[in-house]
Amino acid sequence: MFDEYALGVLEGEEKRSFESHVKGCPECSPKLGEARARVALLALSAPQAHPSPAAKERLMDRVRAYRPPAPPVRLRAPFWGWGVPLLAAAVIVLAIATVLLVRRNHEMEQRLKDLQGQVVLIKKRETAEMTRAGTVLEILTSPRTLRVSLFAAPAHPVPQGKAFYNPQKGLLFYAANLPRLPSDRTYQLWLVPAQGKPISAGIFATDEHGNGEVLLPSLPPGITAKAFAVTVEPSGGEPQPTGKKVLIGVVS
Amino acid sequence: MQPLENPGTLSVRTFFEKAARALSTIAYSQEDRASDLDLIRRLAQGDESALATLYDRYGGVVYSVALRVVKDAGVAEEILQDIFYHLWRHASNYEASRGGLGAWLFVSARNRAIDRLRQRKPSDGPKEEESLPSGFNLESQVAQAELMSRIKSAMDGLPGPQRQALELAYFEGMTHSEISQRTGEPLGTVKTRLRTALQALRQVLNP
Repeated sequence: MFDEYALGVLEGEEKRSFESHVKGCPECSPKLGEARARVALLALSAPQAHPSPAAKERLMDRVRAYRPPAPPVRLRAPFWGWGVPLLAAAVIVLAIATVLLVRRNHEMEQRLKDLQGQVVLIKKRETAEMTRAGTVLEILTSPRTLRVSLFAAPAHPVPQGKAFYNPQKGLLFYAANLPRLPSDRTYQLWLVPAQGKPISAGIFATDEHGNGEVLLPSLPPGITAKAFAVTVEPSGGEPQPTGKKVLIGVVS
Repeated sequence: MQPLENPGTLSVRTFFEKAARALSTIAYSQEDRASDLDLIRRLAQGDESALATLYDRYGGVVYSVALRVVKDAGVAEEILQDIFYHLWRHASNYEASRGGLGAWLFVSARNRAIDRLRQRKPSDGPKEEESLPSGFNLESQVAQAELMSRIKSAMDGLPGPQRQALELAYFEGMTHSEISQRTGEPLGTVKTRLRTALQALRQVLNP
């Protein structure tokens, strides 16, 4: 009956009752499928004919005009076989690239820091130089500045003396840096009065450093002094200066 | 910074290129031996060449059946085209079972041709989802030719009236009573003849 139904010869009540039986019969479905496939083979009994080659061309033209929407491609076993190593290779390459990029990034950050540090340093230096220039200008132009000129210092210490004279009390005299004298010569201190000839204030010797002093010599009281002088005289001294003057100080 | 061009990456790429080339060569040489199942999958992914292969495989029988039924080459070609175009558009719905695609195409060809012959609305043909498990391998041309000769010798071996009844049923879509009317034989006789012919067919096809 399955073959007859598949062949399509059943009709009327016979056909309906067969169909209602097949509906409620789980085993019938495969049997019917087999019968249909079997009956279908009768197609092979048709006399062999060949469609024109143009028929295939027309079909393919029609097919190319319509493209079915591509279904989601499922990865099948062979693809996984390839996919895993490919994916692994991609992951490794990415990991290497990431590490290199991170390192490079770190280097660049470090260089940036260095450059920023240099900029700060240069700015500080500039500020300091500006400040110095300002200060220099200020010193050169300020009225409160003392101006002192200096010259080459003499090769030997300059002889000098200091006299402290009070006409009623007496005289103190200190000398320094005086050259050593031959044994037949001596230093003699003179008081030059406002009027009249110089008056001897005594003779004195110097030590090894050229220092000498005359303390409270006997002088006539109440004499107004115009100047003091030291001369080189023969041993024992002279009543009036004869030798060259080595020191002279005018009372100002 | 040359991680993208390092030797490892290059060799992997070369490997895959070589593998793809090798596989395409194999696929080309085995085109004719691809299973219906594989071809249907490729159809579903839009591979036109798979349709051409299926056409070469089954188009001859489909066209022969249609022509035998409608007896008009133009109409038969139209039916042939419609069937393969339908397959192209609905391949993703097609539930392929081993040996089933050939049977499915033959049933479709016969049904469409009979609908045209009898100028009736398309009848309920086999659905794409319907499995038609045939124990026979129709995928190779050799197996198809072998099966064809078995069917033809079985038909030739049938007594004339049995063969006529079977051909009226199969190629002209007649029912029991229609055959009875055409041949002038009683209905019961027609039924018996058909049942006997179908039994003979089953015996030829059962191993």
